[in-house]
Order: sequence, then C-alpha cells, then structure tokens
Amino acid sequence: MGDVTLEHVSKHYDDVTAVDDMNLDIEDGEFICLVGPSGCGKSTTMEMIAGLTIPSEGKVFIGDREVTNLPPKDRGVAMVFQNIALFPHMDVYDNISFGLRLRNYDKEEIERRVERAAEIVQLQGMLERMPDEMSGGQRQRVAIARAIVRNPGVFLMDEPLANLDAKLRVHMRTELQRLHKELDTTIIYVTHDQAEAMTMSDRIAVIDSGQLQQIDPPLVCYNEPANLFVAGFIGSPSMNFLDGEVTADGFSSTNIDVEFDPADLGIEAGTDVTMGIRPEDVYLVDDEALVSNPSRRIDAVTDVLEPMGDEIFVYLKLSESAETDLEDTSGVANDQLLMSVAPDTDIEEDEDVTVVLDRSRVHLFDTATGEAISHGIETAVQTSGAPGTEAESDD
Amino acid sequence: MASETPGAGIGSDDPDTEQGPLGRWVDSAIKNPDRVYRAMFYVAMLFFLVTTLFPFYWLLVLALTPNNLIANMGLVPKGFNPEVFIAMFERVPFHLYMFNSFVLGITTTVLVLLIASLAGYVFGRLRFPGKGVLMLGILAISYFPPAAFLIPLFELFTGNTAISIGMVTISTPDLFNTPAPMVFPFSALFLPLSIFILTTFYGQIPDGLEDAARVEGTTRLGALFRVIVPLSAPGVATAGVLTFISVYNEFFFSFLMNNGEADSWAPIVAGILKYQGQFDTPYNLMAAASIVGVLPVAILVIIAQERIVSGLTAGALKE
Repeated sequence: MGDVTLEHVSKHYDDVTAVDDMNLDIEDGEFICLVGPSGCGKSTTMEMIAGLTIPSEGKVFIGDREVTNLPPKDRGVAMVFQNIALFPHMDVYDNISFGLRLRNYDKEEIERRVERAAEIVQLQGMLERMPDEMSGGQRQRVAIARAIVRNPGVFLMDEPLANLDAKLRVHMRTELQRLHKELDTTIIYVTHDQAEAMTMSDRIAVIDSGQLQQIDPPLVCYNEPANLFVAGFIGSPSMNFLDGEVTADGFSSTNIDVEFDPADLGIEAGTDVTMGIRPEDVYLVDDEALVSNPSRRIDAVTDVLEPMGDEIFVYLKLSESAETDLEDTSGVANDQLLMSVAPDTDIEEDEDVTVVLDRSRVHLFDTATGEAISHGIETAVQTSGAPGTEAESDD
Repeated sequence: MASETPGAGIGSDDPDTEQGPLGRWVDSAIKNPDRVYRAMFYVAMLFFLVTTLFPFYWLLVLALTPNNLIANMGLVPKGFNPEVFIAMFERVPFHLYMFNSFVLGITTTVLVLLIASLAGYVFGRLRFPGKGVLMLGILAISYFPPAAFLIPLFELFTGNTAISIGMVTISTPDLFNTPAPMVFPFSALFLPLSIFILTTFYGQIPDGLEDAARVEGTTRLGALFRVIVPLSAPGVATAGVLTFISVYNEFFFSFLMNNGEADSWAPIVAGILKYQGQFDTPYNLMAAASIVGVLPVAILVIIAQERIVSGLTAGALKE
C-alpha cells in the first residue's frame, strides 16, 4: 500500500527540464533519500509524488493506484515541509487534527489520534500552544505529528531538518529513524545533505540535473558509485579525482600512475579515464603494511592540515606548482591529493612525505561519459606489469 | 531683538542667555527637538480633528435648532429640540432606508470579497501568461468614471436591451427598483481596489502553508478559505470595510436606479432627500437623519480599525 512507483516521469517548465525521465521503484516501508545538489529536481520529484506538481509526462503510482492526476488530498500521503509550514492561526491541537477534521472524523477519534501522535513525538502537554510560542525543534515535531496522525501510506519529507541548528538536526535524525522503525511506513526524504542521506536511509537515490544517477543502499553508493557525479557527491570530504589515460601498464596521469592490465577491465589503452580515490584510502608509506594491495609510492609535500579530532585531513601537493583553482568545481585536480590520517600521526605542514594508494579502493571512470568502469583493482602489484591482473568490476 | 539684549556688562552671563524669549525658545528647540515634534504633532492632530469633527458638530447644531430658527446660524444651536430624532422617523420611514443601505452594503461586500478573494488568489499566487496585462486592465477599468457606464447600465437594467441569439430574442429583465442594479455596478466598481488589497496579502502567504493544507486534505479553494483568508484577516477586513463604506456612501447609482421610495430599495441618500417637501425644507430633520445615518458606519470603522491595527501589529506570519 505504501509502495511508490514513478514511470518515465518528466517535468518541464517553459524551456527548463526540472525532472528528466525519472524511474523510481520504492517499496512499502522503505526509507528512501532523494539526494542531490540544489536545483537538481529532487524537490520537484517529491512534489509530483505529493501531487503538488503535475508531471509533464509519465505516470506516478502509489500502492496499486495510478495517482498521476489526482489532487494531493486523495493520494494518502503526508508531507513535512522544509519551512515546517504549521498554520500560524491554529494551536498545536488544531494543527495536528486539521486533516482529520477535514475528513469528518468524529470528535473522540480525533482526540484519541492526536493524543497518540503527540505521544509519539513527545509533545504531550503542549497541545494548546500556538506555533509561534514553540522552539524550532518543537514545531518540527508538531509538523511530524500532523503527518503521522492520519496514518498515511507514504511520508514525504522535504528537507525537514534544514532549518534546524546543527545539534538539533543530529538529534532529530535519530528521532526520525526511531519513528520509521516504529511506524514502518514508507518515507521519502529529500535532502541535499549526503550525510543525512547516508545515515538514515535504506536506499539513496542520487539525482543530478533532473536525472536519477543511482539508487542503491548507502554503502553501495559510497563504495561503488555508478558515475563521477555520485562518487563526488557521496562522501565528505569528496573523493579525489585525477584525469589521466589508460596505457598498457594501467592508469597514467601527470603525477600518479596505477598499474593494472587494461584488458582485464575491458578498456582499451588510450582511453581517457578519471581515477577516483577517497581520502581514507591514501596512506603514508609508514602504514603501507596496512594496505594489502598498495600502489606505487608517490612523493608529495603536505600543504594544509585539518585536524578533525578523530582524523586529520592532509592536503598534499604532488608538484611544486600545485595551486587550487577556485573556478574549477569539477573536483578534478591532478596535482593535489587529499589524505586522511589517524589523529596521532606525526605530520607537519610543508613536510616531504611519501604516500601509497590502496589499489583495491581505486575507482576508474570514463572521463567522457562519467560512467564507472571499475571499483578497485584486486591483484598484487605486478612490478613487471605482467598480465594476470584481475579487477573487480561492478555493473 | 538685538535691542532687547542688554549690553554685555562686566560680570554679565554668556551673551547667548541674554536673548529675547523667541531666541531662547529657538535655542531650546534646537537642543531639545522632541518638544517641537510633540508640539507639531498636537497642532496637526488638532487641525485634523477640527476639520473632520466640525461637520458632525455642525450637523448636531442644525438638528437641535428648530427649523424656523435656522437662519444666520452661529456656532451654538438656537434652542434645544431633541424631539427631532423622533420626528425624523415619523415624517419619513428612515429606518427602512437604513435597512436598504445595510442590505446593499453587506450584499456588495460579500460579493466583492468572494470574487476579489478568488481574483487575489489567482493574481497573488499563480503564475500564468498575461497576468500583468489582465491586472492592468482591471486597473484601467477602475479609472473609468461611473457616469460612463450609466446609460448602458440603465438601459440594461430597465429591460430596454434585447439580445438576439439566432431566432430567439431575449430582452433583459426589468430590474429597476430592485437591489440588483445597484449591487452589480457597486461590486464592479469597488472590486479593483479589493483585488489589489487581497492580491498583496495573499501573495505574502508562504507557498508551504498552502501546500501543507492541500496535502492535509483541502482543495485549492479549501486552502484559500481555510488558511490563506484567515491568515490575511487584516487585509480582508480592510477590503471589506472600505467596500462597505463606499457602498454606504454611494450616491450616483443609488439615486438613479430606483424611484427613491423605501420599498424600492432606495438607500439613505434617497431617504434624506425625501424630507425635502414642496413647500418646506426641514434642515433640522435632514441633519438629524444624516447623524443617524452616519452612526453605524462610524461605529463600524472604530471597531474595525482596532481589529485592522491589531491584525497588522500582531505580525501574524513568520517565515
């Protein structure tokens, strides 16, 4: 009853395409995050599920019903909005019971349900307050209570935590997960914060430029990103990207080479590829022993250090002339590398260091299309570059 | 003033303190401008109070003076004749005229608020091509003098217009001496102002609130009347009060679209004119009727103003 399906859904505004041929299959009881940068179409997608926006093309199903052209009130969905959107002229009780009163529930039933919803979100004793007498977190809880009181088949949440301060946000995140466990209802959650998506959802739908890039469980999106966009978007700080070329010996770029046999990955030598490696998969040479499958050693100079408490982010310069180009937002930087090291590591700024990459965690993408070619190279280093290199290749 | 200032002798104070009274006043005003502002506020207040309230006082003076003594009036009544407020109802059924005015005013206000709410929703909250042009059109029509519409409307409402559709010819119904030929032109004339007011108010309601209402179970119309209108209460009250007062005060159509009898839906203006006899002009009765006629509106304005001001200062909306 709570499964949601989008079939070839598109939305065009004048000459702008907000959502382009979106196909989504969300199962009953699933917690799905639609995640992507601002303006990627994730909110439009949600509005089309809610019925606030009618798709230009395609069909929307909730449960077994086609709801493409149904008004929001007939879809059995409830929504929590970014700006909370409590009715300022009603007290908490009236806000929560608004939908029930519209559906002519009898008074006792309304009272019972409001009490129950208030209990779930811990708002007992506040039912007579007006929204402007409450804190941001309390208002958000009222909005959630308003959504759950009708027992909808699907919850839609449009960046519900974006307006809360950082501490409260982390707290509400846990609350939402608890709520999902308790209610076992489909939740579709829109956010631009990949950390939120990673921590809460069963599956993440990464959206960019109106197109679905990947829909998979969080760790799959993290470890096996389908393309450059997903690789760069999921994970913070972002993955390192280096542009290079496939040679007979493997990947070759200005400063870093990684050996593998292109034939095993099904790539022809000469193809332009982008290599991606996450900061935690770059190791100081002292820790090489920890890496089962290290790459060749790379000489670098440390630039800026960012101690985070539980780890230190180290910006490495791979060449003398390395400079950050502020105009470049692609994330590709051939002469820089971000590395994460343990907090007790003895490291200074402007120090000469030698690092290795964990080859089993190296991602290769087709530079032209952005599509992933392989995730991880699984064989030991062949100093001779002899064949026999195997790679695990996903999709 | 220099002559008033005594020469600065030995041991005299600073020359500034030796100015005349005007000089001292100017000096203190510069040092302490708040007092001047307050004085100016009182002067301006007094001016407006006198100019607005004096006509009412003058009406009272005329009403209380017996009619035969109304000549060369001073500022106080010549005599005291409160029975005039009873006499006015005996000579003309003025209460019926007031009732007519109320019915016309309320009907028009309800009609205007209803249509202007829909229009305000469309103009304030939806995006569609031609919106600017349409709004400009409404604005342009509101600038037409009502007299421009009189003859066609009079012909229409008195049943002198026939519409031919193929073989069938339908002539318009004769609505002379009914409320319709007043309510419709009033509504049309006063709509633009209300549309403007409500467009502004409805446009300021956050989209999220309307979306929330729609997801919770209302239609767009339901969201308009359950959420947007209540949250725009100050705007709706303003538009309503302005419309009601305009209709209540209207003369042109009120005078021309009926025969001036109370049972022909003639409003207050006709009632006041009705006192004019062939051989006498009872100024005292007319003045009394004017006062009685104004009272309800004055009360309405006082009450509504409080509500409007409280609505505005409450800042009903956040986010």
